[in-house]
Amino acid sequence: MARVIREGEPVLLEEMSSELLQSFAQGSVHAQFMIEHEYRSAIVAPLIARGRTLGALSALRLGAGKAYGEEELELFCELALRAALAIDNARLYSDLRRVEQRLEAVLASVAEAITVIDGEGRTIFANQAAADLLGYATPAEVTSAPPGSIMSRFLVLDEHGRELDLEQMPARRLLASGEQPEPLLVRNIVRATGEERWLIVRSAPIADPEAEGVRYAVNVFEDITDVKRAQLTESFMAEASRVLASSMDYDDTLQRIARLAVPRIADWCVVDLLDEQGQIRRVAVHHSDPRKLELARALDSGYRPRLDEPLGVPEVIRSGETRIYTDIPAQALAAYAQDSEHLRLLSEIGATSVVIVPMIGATGAVGAITLVSAESLRRLTSADLGLAERLGRRAGTAVENARLYTERSRIAHTLQQALLPSSLPQVPMAEVQARYRAAGELNEVGGDFYDVFEHDEDSWMLVIGDVCGKGPRAAGVTALARHTLRAASMSGQGPAEMLQTLHLALLRQPPDADLCTVCLVQAQPAREGLRLVVALAGHPPPLLIGVDGETVALGKPGTLLGVLDPIHITERRAELHVGETLLLYTDGVPEAGHAQEGLGEEGLRELCRAGRTLSLEGLLELIEWTALERARGSLRDDLALLALRARAGAKIEIG
Amino acid sequence: MSVGEHLRIEVRRDRDRTVLALHGELDLLAAPQLQREIERCEGNPADTLVLDLDDVRFIDSAGLRVILAAHQRAGERGGRMALTPGPEQVQRLLSIAGVGDRLQTIASPDALLV
Repeated sequence: MARVIREGEPVLLEEMSSELLQSFAQGSVHAQFMIEHEYRSAIVAPLIARGRTLGALSALRLGAGKAYGEEELELFCELALRAALAIDNARLYSDLRRVEQRLEAVLASVAEAITVIDGEGRTIFANQAAADLLGYATPAEVTSAPPGSIMSRFLVLDEHGRELDLEQMPARRLLASGEQPEPLLVRNIVRATGEERWLIVRSAPIADPEAEGVRYAVNVFEDITDVKRAQLTESFMAEASRVLASSMDYDDTLQRIARLAVPRIADWCVVDLLDEQGQIRRVAVHHSDPRKLELARALDSGYRPRLDEPLGVPEVIRSGETRIYTDIPAQALAAYAQDSEHLRLLSEIGATSVVIVPMIGATGAVGAITLVSAESLRRLTSADLGLAERLGRRAGTAVENARLYTERSRIAHTLQQALLPSSLPQVPMAEVQARYRAAGELNEVGGDFYDVFEHDEDSWMLVIGDVCGKGPRAAGVTALARHTLRAASMSGQGPAEMLQTLHLALLRQPPDADLCTVCLVQAQPAREGLRLVVALAGHPPPLLIGVDGETVALGKPGTLLGVLDPIHITERRAELHVGETLLLYTDGVPEAGHAQEGLGEEGLRELCRAGRTLSLEGLLELIEWTALERARGSLRDDLALLALRARAGAKIEIG
Repeated sequence: MSVGEHLRIEVRRDRDRTVLALHGELDLLAAPQLQREIERCEGNPADTLVLDLDDVRFIDSAGLRVILAAHQRAGERGGRMALTPGPEQVQRLLSIAGVGDRLQTIASPDALLV
């Protein structure tokens, strides 16, 4: 038997003599046993399966019967062959089970969903993760699903929102072409629930051993929903922040936000603001289909939400808390609707889920953003709340900032108007015109000022000045200057004295007060034209523009006010004849534009020449617009112009 | 040396003075920068501060205000401040402001102070 196993060849022993039996007995007892039992004839056949010897099969005939012959040997060898195959199959099967169990244990423990698809598109294997991902209870349910029925449970979109069909999936392409496809990023939406998942789908081939080509495709689905959402949230927020920071016109930026949100986050985006009167105002509605927007318009015109309503946008604005409706049953919609037309419009929108987030600023909710999913299948879930709430806070802050800014510019404008005369008085024998333009931002009060008032019974005072600096502090100094000069005038002081008074008032201001320059011109109508007294305190001298356009600077430079003490002010007298013009200006006029391109004093004089035939208003307009042009629309200092033109008129009897 | 948007200030210390050489435009935007630089130099009260204005292309009332404030403080602590005359626009502004004769002017930053 050992030889048969060793050599793999069958042996037939037709007649076994006692010598033969003794030769392979394993001792005398064994030999005695075989002789006593009359061992006569034997066949030993090897058990060989798939080229491997598993053992041997032996048959023994005792006593007087017929000895084994060739015929029995052949039969017995056939039997041994079958037995060997059966034994080997049983072993192979149990090995396979073990491997399979091990493999299943491994696949079950990996987080990635794995399926195996055969050439007919049947799923022949799925792990538990795959069953979970595909919405089945067990892997067995997946493998018993008919081909194509799995994919039909999902809306499968690519990264750009285009729908993909079965043939574009990597496994199908692999089975069809045999070529290894690139991993595919897909956005999977479960049709039944609207649940969204981002997946990377990879397919690897299992070759067909019997034929060329691919027999199975192994699918590995990697769920990157969290990563992808975080990434989309960040890029959306970055873009939204850019839009919100781009302008102070929040109606416009909120409309752009609504357009940004559709279709990336939702099918509809609506923005409502709470205005200062406590009314809810719809600022933006967006949907990618303009026909749908008609519905929104009809809703807004007929059923605008009021702040005291118990549900929806009003409730979110009142409470400052987010509301999410992941499921909107028909009866809830019917209960919410105010009448049948309202219900019809709401039903037509077909919302499947709604998120309403408050737009929160430092002082509370200033409005709400409503995101609605409808026909796209994708439902809004609590996973969308993070993004929506961040958007609400960012937009709320932007709206609040813009409102504060508008409020500040309104205050600044009011203040500025308070610092300037609301109208200029009539000066006999003369025409008076003024121009003022503050530099820079709307919400900064400029430091330039001018004033014209009756000084005494027969003369008028023209004031132009510049407080260095801007904003509330400069406005305070400007107000002080204007009112001090008026008070000094009323107490009967002349121009130089008035400037001394203002200087003392400024010195009593807190230290480091803004310095101030002033030009005062006392104008007294005379028989032909006006008599002038000019006093300068650190201010550019006024220009006397002759009828021919030639200019002369009047006055003697004096010390600016409020810093160096004492100051030296000199009064100078001059005559303004009929047709001549006196132009008072602040340094923002010649300094408009950058050093080399600036208008300059010479440029200003040239403009006066060029504009000699213009009306007084026309001349000031020419100067203002030229200065603006030189500054390319962006003044670095305020501009103030005050002009007096002597005109022929009814002669006035003086004294 | 500190570099602003359009004003560059070079600081040089000599035995008896600190010279700030200004290059560029001394306007509302640049004034705080000069203010800081001057304050840094005022650590040594006996020192004389010289502002070299020869390369100042533009000065406005905000720039002037910083110079006048430094002049005031120098007087209060018994120190001195002087300027070089600077280009025409600077001279004109100082003259219009009526302060040209109140500030000590020296021909060059190294000229003798009397």
